[in-house]
Amino acid sequence: MSLTDGFGAGARFLPIGFRTLMRREILRYVRRPRNTFLPPLITNVLYFSVFGVILGERVGEIQGVSYILFLLPGLVVLGAISNSFENASFSIFHGRWNEYIQATTTSPISYTQMVLAYVVSSALRGVLIGVLIALVGAVFTPVTVEHPLYLIAFMAVITTLFAGFGVIGGLWARDFDYLTVMNQFILRPLVFFGGVFYSLEILPPLWTYVSLLNPMVYMVNGVRYGFLGAETVDVGPNSALVVLTVAAVVVVLIDIALFRRGYGLTE
Amino acid sequence: MAAIETDDLRKRYGDLRALKGVSLEVDEGEFFGLLGPNGAGKTTFINILVGLVRKSGGEARVFGYDVEDDYEEARDAIGLAPQEFNVDRFFPIEEVLVHKAGYHGVPKDVAKERAEEALRTVGIYDKRDTRFHWLSGGMKRRFMLARAMVTEPDLLILDEPTAGVDVQLRHDLWDIIKRMNEEGTTVLLTTHYIEEAERLCDRVAILDEGEVVEVSTPDELMGRGKDTVRVKLSKDIEEPPATLDGDYETRVEDGELVVETRNAGGTLAEVLRELDRAGHEVVDIEMSRTSLEEIFVDMTRSHEDVTRTQTTGDGQGDGA
Repeated sequence: MSLTDGFGAGARFLPIGFRTLMRREILRYVRRPRNTFLPPLITNVLYFSVFGVILGERVGEIQGVSYILFLLPGLVVLGAISNSFENASFSIFHGRWNEYIQATTTSPISYTQMVLAYVVSSALRGVLIGVLIALVGAVFTPVTVEHPLYLIAFMAVITTLFAGFGVIGGLWARDFDYLTVMNQFILRPLVFFGGVFYSLEILPPLWTYVSLLNPMVYMVNGVRYGFLGAETVDVGPNSALVVLTVAAVVVVLIDIALFRRGYGLTE
Repeated sequence: MAAIETDDLRKRYGDLRALKGVSLEVDEGEFFGLLGPNGAGKTTFINILVGLVRKSGGEARVFGYDVEDDYEEARDAIGLAPQEFNVDRFFPIEEVLVHKAGYHGVPKDVAKERAEEALRTVGIYDKRDTRFHWLSGGMKRRFMLARAMVTEPDLLILDEPTAGVDVQLRHDLWDIIKRMNEEGTTVLLTTHYIEEAERLCDRVAILDEGEVVEVSTPDELMGRGKDTVRVKLSKDIEEPPATLDGDYETRVEDGELVVETRNAGGTLAEVLRELDRAGHEVVDIEMSRTSLEEIFVDMTRSHEDVTRTQTTGDGQGDGA
């Protein structure tokens, strides 16, 4: 059985319409590895080489681990959420642009199932890219996973959250520039200032407080906790997980409401 | 049960009233045509049924299911072939059909069988591994019909299904659609080709400027037209003979007698008799029947005139 054929035995209990849409969404990116997997692979090889190996040796240790190992969870988050967001926003916007999304929106699949199919398939892409980046990192340094359940939970929640944002972006976009703007001018700066490349401890107190307003800090922090067992920000993984889970649920509910209203899909 | 039932269905786009209270009923198993000029509201009407447009007011039901409240049931009954080519370009056409059937709850193995069957029916099975983008124009039209069929819908909605296709393909598509209707599928067809409506439809509704102008059978509509008989006499005449005073209209064009009547068969004998009595020698007779197209143009034009008069009248009233 292939990755996308049946989703395991439990999938039999899922409605066929939902499963079909999800399969379609997954096949769309799995069948295009040059678009899906190659870019993050190359980008992260460069990140690990330049920041991890070349610069990392001069930086030394941060929070008791080598810089390259400190860097890895942040890069995993960066890749995972970018891909979750891009996949959902592109898939929906491209479908709207070429109007083939109408084959889905005129079908009897419920709005909730439509949204979940887009969100879950996009979140899965984010997780796959996250795993790929971790594997690339493992080539450069031994990777440990101190809290696997937390790592899985954080990865699931943050990719779902950003896939949910991607759905909103895909419905809101009026042309392809909107997608670029959202990714390059909103998402990436937040991630880069979210403690991917540095520890908040090295910042002046004012900027540390400002950084704590950035939700990415808690996502990077949670994934770092899963990998390294240490937090950069002392918030506790459970509280961060609860807040992020609530945020993900709220965003998915907004997605469903937008589909129900036909926002960006009708007229 | 009615396959489609709309009551005072309205749609506004800002200031534009695309539908101004359309009430229609299409019976189960019927072949129903929706005729109207561009901008009449035909596509808006269809799009409300399938959920691509939200109505501004009124009611719309498909097999008793409200198109908004019970959208899952309503949409499950519908197969749509829209006017525009809106096909998933990431996948070969057979897979697109498998997905479409899957969205309607058809298991994957059955969906594949249905997809193959649909492609065979429309004659493009050999192209099953091709993406839509690479099909010819005619094949694209065939595919649109295959996609509408693959879910085995109870209601097939075809929005200009034969627009821009050659005569042979048009006839092929007509045969397929007609066969589906004979097997029990209700068909709602919008078309610009009056001949299409005349040949296929049990009933037609004429929609103009968002309003239903007429609902009738093609035959009834044809009955409203007039037959024209042109009679060439051995000598040109300047006026119709005075003895021609039956239930028909006469005039002279280019020296020939022109008679307009609702029943050419009955009138012709009387006219020939009167002409013979008046000493005219008939050289040639040419009969023509008003086409449905002419009736359609005439009806939409008169409706336009009425609407314009009402609007002008309203405007004057407001001014006073």
